Amino acid sequence: MKYSLSIICIIAISALSLSLPAQIVGKAERGTFALTNATIETVTNGTVQGTVIIQNGKITALGNNVTIPAGAKTIDCAGKFIYPGLIDGGTRVGLSEVSSVSLTQDFAEIGELTPQMQALTAVNPNATAIPVTRVEGVTTALTMPANGLFPGTAALINLVGYTPDQMYAGFKGVVLNFPSVRRRRFGDNRTEEELKKEEEKQLKQLNEIWEQAQLYVNIAKSGTQPDYNPEMEALAPVVRGEMALLVEANRYNEIESAIKWIQEKKVPKAVLTGVAEGWRVADKIAKANIPVITGPVIAVPTRASDRYDKAYANPGLMQKAGVKVALRTNSAENARNLPFNAGFAVAYGMDKAAALRAITITPAEIFGVADRLGSIEVGKDATLFVCTGDPLETSTQVVHLIIDGWEVPLESRHIQLYQEFLDRQPGLKK
Amino acid sequence: MMTAGWLHAQESLVSPVTRTLALTNANIVQKPGQVIEKGTIVIKDGLILAVGKEVKIPVGARVIAADSMYVYAGFIDGLSHTGVPRPDNTQAQRGQAPRPQQAQQVNRSNPTNEQSGITPEQQVKDQLKADDKSIEEMRKAGFTAAHVVPRGNMLPGTGAVVLLKGSSADAMVMRNETALFSQLAGAGRVYPSTVIAVMSKWRELYKRAEQAKAHEAMYAKNPTGMARPNYDRSLQAFYPVIDKKMPVFFAASDLKSIHRALTLQDELKFPMVLTNVKQGWEVANVLKSKNIPVLVALDLPKEKKQPEKKEGDKDAAKKEKSITEQEMEILEKRSAEELQRYLAQSGVFEKAGIEFAFSAMTVKSTDVQSNLRKMIANGLSENTALAALTTTPAKMLGVANVMGTVEKGKLANLVITDKPYFAEKSNVRYVMIEGQLFEYEVVTRKAGDPNANAKPAGIWSYTINVPGQTTEGRLEIVDSNGSLSGTISNSQTNQETPISNAEIKGNALTFSANINMGGQSLVLDYELLIDGNNMEGTVSVGQFGTFRVEGSRNPGKN
Amino acid sequence: MNKYALLLTLLFGATALLAQPKTGSMLIKNGTVLTITKGTLENTDVLVEKGKITRVGKSIPAPAGVEIVDATGMYVMPGIIDAHSHIALDAINEATSPVTAEVWVGDALDPFDVSIYRALAGGCTSSHAMHGSANAIGGECETIKHRWGTKNPEDLRMANAPRTIKFALGENPMRVHGEGSGIIPASRMGVEFVIRKAFTEGKNYMEAWNKYNEEKKTNPNAVPPQYDRRLQTMADILKGDIIIHCHSYRADEIYMLMNVCRDFGVTKLCFQHVNEGFKVAPELADFGAGASVFADWWGYKFEVYYSTAYNAAILMRNGVVTSINSDSGDYIRHLYHQAGKTQRYGGLTDDEALALITINPAIQLGIDQQVGSIEVGKDADIVIFKNHPLSVYGVPQKTIVDGVVYFDINEDPDDIRIDINPEESFPAFFLEEQHGHSHDRCMQGAWEFLFERYQNFFEQQKN
Repeated sequence: MKYSLSIICIIAISALSLSLPAQIVGKAERGTFALTNATIETVTNGTVQGTVIIQNGKITALGNNVTIPAGAKTIDCAGKFIYPGLIDGGTRVGLSEVSSVSLTQDFAEIGELTPQMQALTAVNPNATAIPVTRVEGVTTALTMPANGLFPGTAALINLVGYTPDQMYAGFKGVVLNFPSVRRRRFGDNRTEEELKKEEEKQLKQLNEIWEQAQLYVNIAKSGTQPDYNPEMEALAPVVRGEMALLVEANRYNEIESAIKWIQEKKVPKAVLTGVAEGWRVADKIAKANIPVITGPVIAVPTRASDRYDKAYANPGLMQKAGVKVALRTNSAENARNLPFNAGFAVAYGMDKAAALRAITITPAEIFGVADRLGSIEVGKDATLFVCTGDPLETSTQVVHLIIDGWEVPLESRHIQLYQEFLDRQPGLKK
Repeated sequence: MMTAGWLHAQESLVSPVTRTLALTNANIVQKPGQVIEKGTIVIKDGLILAVGKEVKIPVGARVIAADSMYVYAGFIDGLSHTGVPRPDNTQAQRGQAPRPQQAQQVNRSNPTNEQSGITPEQQVKDQLKADDKSIEEMRKAGFTAAHVVPRGNMLPGTGAVVLLKGSSADAMVMRNETALFSQLAGAGRVYPSTVIAVMSKWRELYKRAEQAKAHEAMYAKNPTGMARPNYDRSLQAFYPVIDKKMPVFFAASDLKSIHRALTLQDELKFPMVLTNVKQGWEVANVLKSKNIPVLVALDLPKEKKQPEKKEGDKDAAKKEKSITEQEMEILEKRSAEELQRYLAQSGVFEKAGIEFAFSAMTVKSTDVQSNLRKMIANGLSENTALAALTTTPAKMLGVANVMGTVEKGKLANLVITDKPYFAEKSNVRYVMIEGQLFEYEVVTRKAGDPNANAKPAGIWSYTINVPGQTTEGRLEIVDSNGSLSGTISNSQTNQETPISNAEIKGNALTFSANINMGGQSLVLDYELLIDGNNMEGTVSVGQFGTFRVEGSRNPGKN
Repeated sequence: MNKYALLLTLLFGATALLAQPKTGSMLIKNGTVLTITKGTLENTDVLVEKGKITRVGKSIPAPAGVEIVDATGMYVMPGIIDAHSHIALDAINEATSPVTAEVWVGDALDPFDVSIYRALAGGCTSSHAMHGSANAIGGECETIKHRWGTKNPEDLRMANAPRTIKFALGENPMRVHGEGSGIIPASRMGVEFVIRKAFTEGKNYMEAWNKYNEEKKTNPNAVPPQYDRRLQTMADILKGDIIIHCHSYRADEIYMLMNVCRDFGVTKLCFQHVNEGFKVAPELADFGAGASVFADWWGYKFEVYYSTAYNAAILMRNGVVTSINSDSGDYIRHLYHQAGKTQRYGGLTDDEALALITINPAIQLGIDQQVGSIEVGKDADIVIFKNHPLSVYGVPQKTIVDGVVYFDINEDPDDIRIDINPEESFPAFFLEEQHGHSHDRCMQGAWEFLFERYQNFFEQQKN
């Protein structure tokens, strides 16, 4: 018995020692870091040469004239560039594992009015797509529920951490799919008139809900405890202006109605999302002074008669009209393409600086987290990456990644499969 | 009984006493470009006995003074489903396979020929219904004969030339098995469901038919020791086509379908008439060079109503236009230009020298006349238009010796209008088919005012003007919170029936009533305009026609 | 029409339907020419005459009357070729049977699809218009050139392109036929069986005809086998007349089809999507099969869950002829960008990355003698880019097919539709879904077909 136990111990120890040299899963590390000799693109204060110091998860110093703290891990970034982590203004990251397998999809609930549904609670911190996304420099994403009039509450998450709370990046917003009845692609035989009627019905429904929410807030304000109503409880912070309303509208007339509705109802914090035909009504959006999260940019025009590049040009056209524009991919598994969406916006007319802002500081401002995210500034969260060049450029490589002060290993399933199969062993059996 | 009265009104003009008729003092358009002014036509036993300026009217003839009216050869519809009822099953009508619960019995990959829409052996005469309302609708539009084909998908069957009158299918048929009808229509949820499979199946069926025909011929010569040919009625239906004795009437409206039909024809070399063509101007030279006869669709895209200019539009014009407004202007211009091309199609065909007639397969019969006028306004000559309604289809369908012109010996198929047929506000007043006369009232309808706020509730008395007879009745309408109900009666039967589907829009009142006539249920559809305590409008009585209605509200009873 | 033209049509009436695509001549001056097969040539001219490349070199004098296109500071590359698309088609899936080898999407060409012009605006000059993936053996496909502006479907066909046919493995045929109709295949076992059976029946059919043709010589009573287009097509594959392009994802099914093809002596084989091709890259290289992949699509269904964006790089490094395709009316407009992703994911060189969208798809479609590189004698299918085509900032300026400019960024008229609906002036709004099955364009038509089964799914997807 004794004998056999020791044998087991020996086997176990040798197995362990065998696995030690090749670390299978890298772990994130927190500590003091000095990123030296870098070209630092701060986004908010121009380009700076020098060093970035990170301590306790924050950027504590940057520039030419900094002292590297004792015990700091120095990462030489000579010839490399430092950018703030990219922020995707709208995704399903963490809420969807395999799109065609419905039981792996957690972004949709039953019913039209479910604002109390919390995207954050359903984020799977171990979703395969999360490392796949972050290793390309997309460190932060708004993850959104879908379907119905008020599908739920979206949350901004950092793409690192093992619990939703560790990932939460400080912003939540209630999603409203602004009434829009479009013909479904298949099997929808409704006439134009029926569609319009349905849309009017939905708008009426929306107005009733909003009235109820206002009443709910007023009752609560008067000191009376309103009846248990989880839907209204979820809408109350929006009515009170404590939480943003993310209004999804894509057709130009839908956008116009949404603007009108937001102004009529005096929605305190409103953001327009989607906005695929924003270019048609860019002046009106600018005049209404409502920020926009648009995308995907790499998409086809919304109408057969539109110029071929209208989806690419849309963010630039809105930006030039004076709209505050952030970008999104609206993707679950390929949010890593966010920088390329910005790149296409640039290729088709958006200012390069504005495009970079649209995936960094602008979404941070829209989400009210610009004090912590979206740029490289002293005092902000250490959420950044080191890369070989222009981060919007396709061939650029991300070489170091730090999110919320954690140095995250550049590993993902895609990279692991590459490493395993580039030179497969055993190879071809002849 | 009141409907009996209407029925009589229609048929009373065919004299039971004599089968000899004379139409006098009419402008007779014998054929395109050949007119006799103030001429007479004598008809005997359904045939034209004489036409001319100095024609003797036989003793005992019933004389109809057609003073200042215009007489044409009865129109011939080149292809349609007139008289072929739509199947009751709406799914089958759309060519869809049964729903999933029924799907178990259907083998999607290997369905029966019926499920696949492959029934070229079917004959339209077996599907014709002499009392189908489409017959009267077409007749009223001036058509006296039609080339009709079965409904269905890719190969529904063979057609027949029919007269648009008669008490039975057999009585209507002039010429049977005229053509094999085909269209690029898939069978929904079973094979062939898409156009790619329909095209493939077409080639395969045709080549199999050629094989089978050759095999049968070989077998007939020397069957001993030879594999027996399978009996296959669908393949046999192709034999006359292979022998070039029967054409394929291929329905292909849009340009892509036309190209596809031409591709099949080019490969397999069968005789083809391209039918219900709507977008054919692009291939006019190809059709001409390949000498392919064409049937032009009588329906046209709808013209967009110009939005009414509101007050203050002048100011709006001054203001800078938004992106969308500028865009809309350009886009609307493009649509309008495209519409012109559709309207000009038959004119293009005429100039290209293509022989064409018309197909009423998808047109609303009441649109025929105005659509022809639009075609004429866009380059089609009146003579060619008339030829395409008369002489050309007669020739295409092999009946030129009996119809298509107003000449001695031809069938007495005529259409008589109060003004030249293609003129504005011209009305069909009589249609004659093989000597049987159908008379039509001119019913003018006022336009309703959608902004009016007429109140239909109350008790009304009304009269229906039927030629030679007037029927009176009482109508009571109850309005409960905008929902209308009520009853209607007539002075002849004193029968009271409830009204249904009653609706008021502005000052336009519509409702229906069911009445029983000799065991047959008839639906009367009323369309009335209310002006204070008066109303006027029409009632449609199925196949019997549309009649004028006037009425007034009984005072003091509201 | 003038009399001369009328005379011509009368004389050549029988061939009036055949396409006579227009060709053009031009001298493209002083560009950076990315020949693909012969390196990068700085400050080089390309002479195009009657639709063909006739000279590549420095300071070529312009022949009289030939238009000069100044490409100074620009990149000149061969027209991009998409080995997998479904644009310009009115029908994609005949989803009624697991084997529909007899159908041909070339019968359903749609020259009015604005996707053709949009593809040109992304530098794509040719595409492989494919049958969908609902059936284990779908239909024949059509290799088209993007000659936008024609109203004659025949003009789109690429002359002399070999016949190709779509096969499909895995989830799609299983879902449509197994789940949808309750017939084989409901598993990958069934998919293999369906394909083996079809090949065997095709072989028997071919043998029956051979036997008949022999017998006919001595026996006047010989009766031919019944003509069967499905079996005839299978026989044509066995004879080597048709290249198989097979929708596939998982390594095991890819390996399976190579074995089946070996057993039937079929060698012309290219895998499509082939997300797990990297796992059997040595076997693919050994067979000589092509692989046409997505740059980075994954995760939209279970069989692409274990994918990697490094697929193209691994396949290339293993010697597999690899291309990147779109399978989408969106991605066909930026295949240059998709090819660029192989530099991020696997560090391919410029020439390797560009080969993925030019000469390699040309090889896979059997059209590499005509297109796919800038070489004398090849078709003048050329794109001129501002900025390098592999850069995210690359923008196609002019796209040329057969020497004719079909896209010019400076002369784009916004609304390029050819077929206008006279009853609807403002075209309907259509927002491309970015989630999940939008990637599965291969199933177009088949989804509609299964609509009732998947009604809930569509309800879910409407937002």
